[in-house]
Amino acid sequence: MSEITSVERQRLMLFYRRRNAASWLAHLDTMHLFERALSRAAWPIAFSVEAYNPRPMIVFALPVGVGVETLSDPVEVVICDLDGTFDVKEAVSSLNDKLPPGVKIVGYEWVDGEHKSPMARVKAACYRLEAPGIGKAFSNVYDSGEPILVKRVQKKKEVTVDLRPRLLAVLRSDGDLLELIGGAGSTDHLRVDLLLDALYQYGGLDEEAALGARITRTRVFLDAVDDEKGIIVEMA
Amino acid sequence: MNRFDDPNVRAMLRAVQKPARYTGHELNAIDKSDTFFQLEDSARVHFALCFPDLYEIGMSNLAIQILYGILNEDEHTFCERVFASDFDMRQLLKEKNMPLTSLETGTALSDFDMVGISLHYEMAYTTMLEMLALGGVPLESSKRQEDDPIVVGGGPIACNLEPVADFFDFIVIGDGEEIILEIVGALKEKKKNKINRRAFLLSIADIPGVYIPSFYAIDYKENGHVERIRTLEEKAPEKLTKRLLRDINEAPMPQKPIVPNLEVVHDRMVMEVLRGCARGCRFCQAGFTYRPLRERSVETLLETADSLIEHTGYEEMGLLSLSTSDYSQLEPLVRKLLPKTEPRHINLSLPSLRLDSFDFDLAKEIAKTRRAGLTFAPEAGTQRLRDVINKNITEEEMMEAARTAFLNGWDRLKLYFMLGLPTETDDDVEGIVTLVRKFIAIWDNLPQDQRSKRLNVTVSAAFFIPKPFTPFQWSEQISVDAMREKQKQLADSLRDRRVSFSWHEYDSSVIEGVLSRGDRRLKEVLLDVWRSGAYLEAWHEHFDAALWYRALSKLPGGEAFYLKAREEQEYFPWDHLDLGVTKAFLWREWEKSQEGKTTTSCYDGCSACGNERYRTGVCPGSELGFGGSRA
Repeated sequence: MSEITSVERQRLMLFYRRRNAASWLAHLDTMHLFERALSRAAWPIAFSVEAYNPRPMIVFALPVGVGVETLSDPVEVVICDLDGTFDVKEAVSSLNDKLPPGVKIVGYEWVDGEHKSPMARVKAACYRLEAPGIGKAFSNVYDSGEPILVKRVQKKKEVTVDLRPRLLAVLRSDGDLLELIGGAGSTDHLRVDLLLDALYQYGGLDEEAALGARITRTRVFLDAVDDEKGIIVEMA
Repeated sequence: MNRFDDPNVRAMLRAVQKPARYTGHELNAIDKSDTFFQLEDSARVHFALCFPDLYEIGMSNLAIQILYGILNEDEHTFCERVFASDFDMRQLLKEKNMPLTSLETGTALSDFDMVGISLHYEMAYTTMLEMLALGGVPLESSKRQEDDPIVVGGGPIACNLEPVADFFDFIVIGDGEEIILEIVGALKEKKKNKINRRAFLLSIADIPGVYIPSFYAIDYKENGHVERIRTLEEKAPEKLTKRLLRDINEAPMPQKPIVPNLEVVHDRMVMEVLRGCARGCRFCQAGFTYRPLRERSVETLLETADSLIEHTGYEEMGLLSLSTSDYSQLEPLVRKLLPKTEPRHINLSLPSLRLDSFDFDLAKEIAKTRRAGLTFAPEAGTQRLRDVINKNITEEEMMEAARTAFLNGWDRLKLYFMLGLPTETDDDVEGIVTLVRKFIAIWDNLPQDQRSKRLNVTVSAAFFIPKPFTPFQWSEQISVDAMREKQKQLADSLRDRRVSFSWHEYDSSVIEGVLSRGDRRLKEVLLDVWRSGAYLEAWHEHFDAALWYRALSKLPGGEAFYLKAREEQEYFPWDHLDLGVTKAFLWREWEKSQEGKTTTSCYDGCSACGNERYRTGVCPGSELGFGGSRA
C-alpha cells in the first residue's frame, strides 16, 4: 500500500439510526455491517496498514447493545479522497441505498483533525425506555434517593454496581415511558439492561415487561452534555 | 404489523443467544408480504425453504441461496427461509406453545403450501424431524391431511434418503435448480384445480427427478436384506433417474445473495466454478453422483463477480467446487478477477485445490498479503492404499509441492487422512506417520533463511464411511473398537511438538454409516431417537450415541447389520434410483480397487461410468459415442 499523508485523509462522523430487525445485532456484527455497506457503496475509506490484515478505518463512538434501537448514533470513518472527487452528500445517499433494511444514515459532519478519538469524545447518552408500568417502577426505585445496587459479572467476578451516579438526568418518567440521560463511555457508563434489571428486582416492573421493553438510544452526547435542544430538565 | 413492535417477540429475542438468527430482514432478503398475499390463494405458492441446522450453517450454504433466488424470481411464488432454532429458542417456543416460523414474515411452517428441506448430512435427520414437529407439520407423509403442506426433500444426500423416506411426500434427485419451478408449477395447478394430495403426487410422478416414496414398497428377506422394490402405482417409474443440469451456464448463480447480518460459518461471496468431478476417488459420493463434470464459463463468472462485489461487500471471494484446480480456465479466471478484487481489499480463496496441479505462481499472486494454510488431502499413508482408493497423487508430487510452498512463505500445513479404508493394514496407518515425517524433513532440510520460522502441521483423521453410489458401497465399515485402535496407533506414533492431531468421533461415524447405507426400517429408530430428545446432532456436543445404540438394539442385527460388507448380487435399498453411474461400473471399480489398480480421470479417458448418456460436460465417452453401452 502506498504512503498516504494525513492531508488527504479526512475524518467524517456519520450518525445512524437502526431499528427493528437490525437492532438485534451484536456490536461486532454492526461493525461488519458498516464495513460491507461502505464497500458496496465504494466509499474511499482509508485502511489501516497494520501487519498483514489491513482494516477499513471505521470507529464507533459507543458500542450499542443487542436489542437497542438508535436514532442518531455516531460512527467515524476516515475518508481517503485521493482524487478529490468525494461528494459527501451524494455518498451518503448512495450509502443509504446500500444499507440493509432498518439501518439509515440520518446525518453527518466533518470532524476537525484536532478532536480526540470518537470513543474519547463520548460523554453521555440519552435513552427512551417503553414498557408497561415502567414510570411507576422507576419512581419506586429512584425517589428514595438510596443507592441502586445491581450485580454484574466483570472479568468472571461478580461485582456490585450503584447505578445512581450513572443516571445523569431524568427527562420524563410516567406511565409506560421513561426518558433519561446516562453516563456513557469509559467512566460511569450506564447499562440500560442493568437498569431494567433493577426496575424488575426493586421497582415491581413485571419480568415480561422488562424483557419486552423497547429500548431506544435517542442521542449520544459528544464532547459535552449540552442542553441545546432544551431537553435537559433536571441534572442529578 | 411489524413483528418487532410486539413486546412478546422482543422478550423472546432478549432471552436467547444471538437473536439476529431469528430476525431476518438482511440485505437482499426478499419480503413479498405487500404484494403476494393480495394474490388469490389459488394463484400463489408459499414455499418454506428449510435447512435443518442453525442459521449460521444454513446461510453458508450456496444451494439455499440458489433456490431462494430462483423461487422468488417467480412473482406468484414467495419463498421464505426456515432454520432450526438453537436449544434456548426451541425451549421458549415449547414453553409458550408457539410454532417454528419463517424468517421473512414469521409464518408458521404448517401454514406454507410446500416445505422444502435441503439435506446435506445424515446427522441432520433428527433436527429435521424436530423442525417439522415444532412447525406443526405431521411427520409422516401418510398422516398429513389435505391442509398440511407438501413436504419435499433434496440435496447431495438425496441419493439415499430411505431412512427418512416416509417423512417426505416426495424427493428430488439431482440438480434442484433444474426441477424446482416445474414442481412449483404443478403445485399451482393443484391449487387452481383443487385436486387432492394423492392426485397431485400422481400428476408429478413421471417428472424426471421426482421420487415419491409412498409409491414404492420394499420387501425384505428374512436376513434383513432387500428382496425387491415394487412400484405401487402404474405411473411410478421402476427406475428413477436423476435430474441433470445440462448447460450449467444457463443456470443462474445468485447475483444478489442474502448477506447475513451476523457472522456465519462461511462469510464470503461464493462462485461455483465447476459442478461434478472428473477424478473418481472411490470413497467420494459427490464425486460420482454429480458427474459429468460441468464447467462454468469465465464470462459468466466475471459477470457474477461484478454483481457479487457490488451487492454484498464481502472481503473474501471463494471459488467453489469439488476440485477447483481441475477448472480448465482457472488461471485466466484468476488473472481477470484480481483486478476486480485487489483494489477493494477482497481476498480470493480457493478451497479444494489439488496439489498435483497447484500453480504456485498463481497462488503467490492470490496470497500477496496473507499466506493461508496449505491443505493437502492424501487420504492414505501409502501409495498402495492411495491406488486402492484411486487418489491419483504421488509422494513425489506432494513433496515437491510442499517444498515450493515452504520456499514461498507457507508455514502451516494441514493434512487430511482417512482411517479404516478397504484393505488398510497397520503398515498403511504407519505410512501416515512416515509421510508426515517426510513433510517435516522437507522443511528441516531447507536453509533457514529461505523459509519461514516455525512449521505447524495439523493432521486430521476421519473414519472411512462407505456411501451409496460409490465403488466402496460394498465395503465393510470398521467397528468402534477398530477405530479406537487405529486412532491410538496413529496418536502414539505422531508425537511431535510441531504436529497437532485430531480425529473424528467414533460413534457418530458409526451412526452416519448406518444412516448412509440405511433402509426404511430405520424410520422407527429415527423416531425413537428423536423422541428421546436428539436435536442438532451434527454438533458433536449435542450428539448422544447412547440414544442411537439403544434404539438400534431393537432392530435385528443392530448397527452391525448396516456396517458389514455387502455381496456382489445384493439388492441395495437405493437400487431403484439411477444417479448416472451404473452398478456394473461401480462393481468394476470395486474389483479394481481390490487389485490396487487405478482408473484415469475423465480428462484422460472414459471409464464408461454411465454418464456418457447425458452427452454433456467433460466427458470423452459422450464424444466418442459410448452412450453407456459398455456399462
